[in-house]
Amino acid sequence: MKGTILRGSLSGGLEVRLDIGENIEEVKVGTFCVVEGRTHDFFSMVVDEDIEAANPKAFYETLSDNSLLNEVVRGTGIIDKVKIQPMIAIRREDNKVQPVKSIPSYLSRVREAREEDVFKIFGRPDRTHFHVGSPLDMDHIPVCIDLKKFIERSNGIFGKSGTGKTFYTRIMLCGMIKSGLCNVLVFDMHSEYGWEGEDEDETRKKAKGLKQLFGSKVAIFTLDPESSRNRGVHPDFVVEIPYRSIEAEDIVMVREELNLNPTALEVIYVLQKHLGQDWLITFLNMDALAIEEFAENTGAHAGALQALQRKLFRLQKLPFIKENPADDAVERIMQYLDSGMNVVLEFGHQRSMLAYMLVANILTRRIHELYVKRSERALGGTQGNNTPLVIVIEEAHKFLSPELSRQTIFGMIAREMRKYNVTLLVVDQRPSGIDPEVLSQLGTKIVALLTEEKDIESVLCGVNNARMLRNVLASLDTKQQAIIMGHAVPMPVVIKTRTYDDTFYKEITKDEDGAFRRSPMVGIKQTSGTSSFANNSDMDEPPPGKEFEDLMKELYGL
Amino acid sequence: MIGEIIESRTAEFVAEAVRYDQVPAYGSFVRVSDGELRVYGIVSGAYTGSLDGMSKAKAFFKSIHELKMEQPQIFELLRTEFSCVVVGYAQDGRYHPYYPPIHLSLHLPVEKADDDEVLLISQHLGFLEKTLNSPAGNGEELTAAAIRMAARFHPDPREYIVRVGRELLKMLNYDTQRLKAILERVDIA
Repeated sequence: MKGTILRGSLSGGLEVRLDIGENIEEVKVGTFCVVEGRTHDFFSMVVDEDIEAANPKAFYETLSDNSLLNEVVRGTGIIDKVKIQPMIAIRREDNKVQPVKSIPSYLSRVREAREEDVFKIFGRPDRTHFHVGSPLDMDHIPVCIDLKKFIERSNGIFGKSGTGKTFYTRIMLCGMIKSGLCNVLVFDMHSEYGWEGEDEDETRKKAKGLKQLFGSKVAIFTLDPESSRNRGVHPDFVVEIPYRSIEAEDIVMVREELNLNPTALEVIYVLQKHLGQDWLITFLNMDALAIEEFAENTGAHAGALQALQRKLFRLQKLPFIKENPADDAVERIMQYLDSGMNVVLEFGHQRSMLAYMLVANILTRRIHELYVKRSERALGGTQGNNTPLVIVIEEAHKFLSPELSRQTIFGMIAREMRKYNVTLLVVDQRPSGIDPEVLSQLGTKIVALLTEEKDIESVLCGVNNARMLRNVLASLDTKQQAIIMGHAVPMPVVIKTRTYDDTFYKEITKDEDGAFRRSPMVGIKQTSGTSSFANNSDMDEPPPGKEFEDLMKELYGL
Repeated sequence: MIGEIIESRTAEFVAEAVRYDQVPAYGSFVRVSDGELRVYGIVSGAYTGSLDGMSKAKAFFKSIHELKMEQPQIFELLRTEFSCVVVGYAQDGRYHPYYPPIHLSLHLPVEKADDDEVLLISQHLGFLEKTLNSPAGNGEELTAAAIRMAARFHPDPREYIVRVGRELLKMLNYDTQRLKAILERVDIA
């Protein structure tokens, strides 16, 4: 693509007249291009294209039967015009990257971006710059995400179903795990991240999961050991959740799934208040007489209590909720995370929204408490492991809907937890279902094709030049194309994502010295015990070292 | 030599043909050497009439061949003039696509421009503006003729015509209708 600036404005974007002989059909919306102004280079994105006639009469002439005239008029009387939006400017003098506060002068030359331009903006791939894909039609050039910035805030991966959200998530997870900048906890609803996932590609069929790629850096927890066994996965731990872990808030979260009305919710709080930590199991074990007695004592309505009990019986059907589980899964997950491992929690056949939301909420609430304490201690000077944690949730609109996001732990994390080193990576196909306030707080968004107007609107909320990106978003391919915008990239960019294949596996598993190595964590002193553990790839359980003792203290207050 | 200047203005000149029946082609390029200057023009029209300019030729209703046999003297009484628009001049080996500083003197000989001269002059598309606004008022016709003449000397005539066409379109204020009228007269294969 070659052309010159024809006209434009800062607010409305620039119009580029394509040079004679350039084929507009080859210029795709989303292409990354550079305007060479007098003193600045403006890095821009193609957002729209159209055909314009200097004299509109020309449109109505029959030019088609005269090839000579046709050739003359094309590019002169009728021009191909490309609309671009400058996203970032670099002063050539000192290579200073600046936000766009001016426009390039008239007749500035416009060209497609080259490799060095991409590197100048997105950096070269290294430990913290993760290669996620390449710009449109520039297959060999890597576009990098700044992982340090990425994990600083909560992020989102959006796209219609079938656009490869799972793959983008896998790629990002691989990048994060490899970098060692953070730990990840994946609530893996469809059991596709841990060991192995489906690949629609005929030649590959299976996509390797994180455990296969990172071995001892990743632990698989499961809610459904049978399903895991059937799939040939050896989970590190079977998760069972005690009734006492379930709090009123968790039930509020799944009220739609349990079909609870507002009165029922109030009753739950009454129950918790009077029955204490074991409220749920006590309540479920109550017979009709006990309920009436309880109603009399507390002033609650017996009918409402009975109705609630019937509805809550559904929880008893969830096999992973036990009265007295052998081990507390939450604590175990915390141990793993604390020792620098990454955890994938598989749901197996327990993939109902009820199970998913309940478990995710219970675990996340506890993690939240722990991280808040940790950060406070880190602030207070008593150092501990303070590696950031990224929690991956799917079907995020269920957790972060406008009605729930204010009450649930996920809404809180999305809004403010970055201060406590916990961020979310939300994966969703209906971003319009997510609370706009949460959406606007998301740092980086990776968005695949969306067609629904409402969804497009909501992912663009809080993005500069949103109007311009609308076209780009609607014209993405259904596979392997996404637009990345926000905190971790200097400018929005459309990429062809990397292929999740053997080449990727090789690259992601090899370190500079060819072996796994955990990079030192950012901003904290690391005890030698931790790193020796992380290097030992045969070890499945965290050894009871100094950190472990700290952890026990943290959890049990011993 | 094909003629001699008998009338001269800054923008155009008129020459009398050496022979009444030998005129340079309409739209062809001619050259007049005036001291250090070599002034170039494009033939923009021709006229044949009686020698004195007063009396009119008379019809005989015979073929030219018969007339030449029977009335050879009448041809001696005819003269032909052709007019040319000035398109530019060369001085010290450099071509300038605009009017010379002084208009041409009378009685200078007019010659056909050489091939390479035509090539050079027609590279500068400034001549289009002069032909288009020819004082005779036949701008489009003359422009088409000049393009036809010039294109032959270019290695890729079609490419040349396209280039000329683009320039013309701008001069015509993007009026594709008029451009079409001109290009239809440049029927180059």
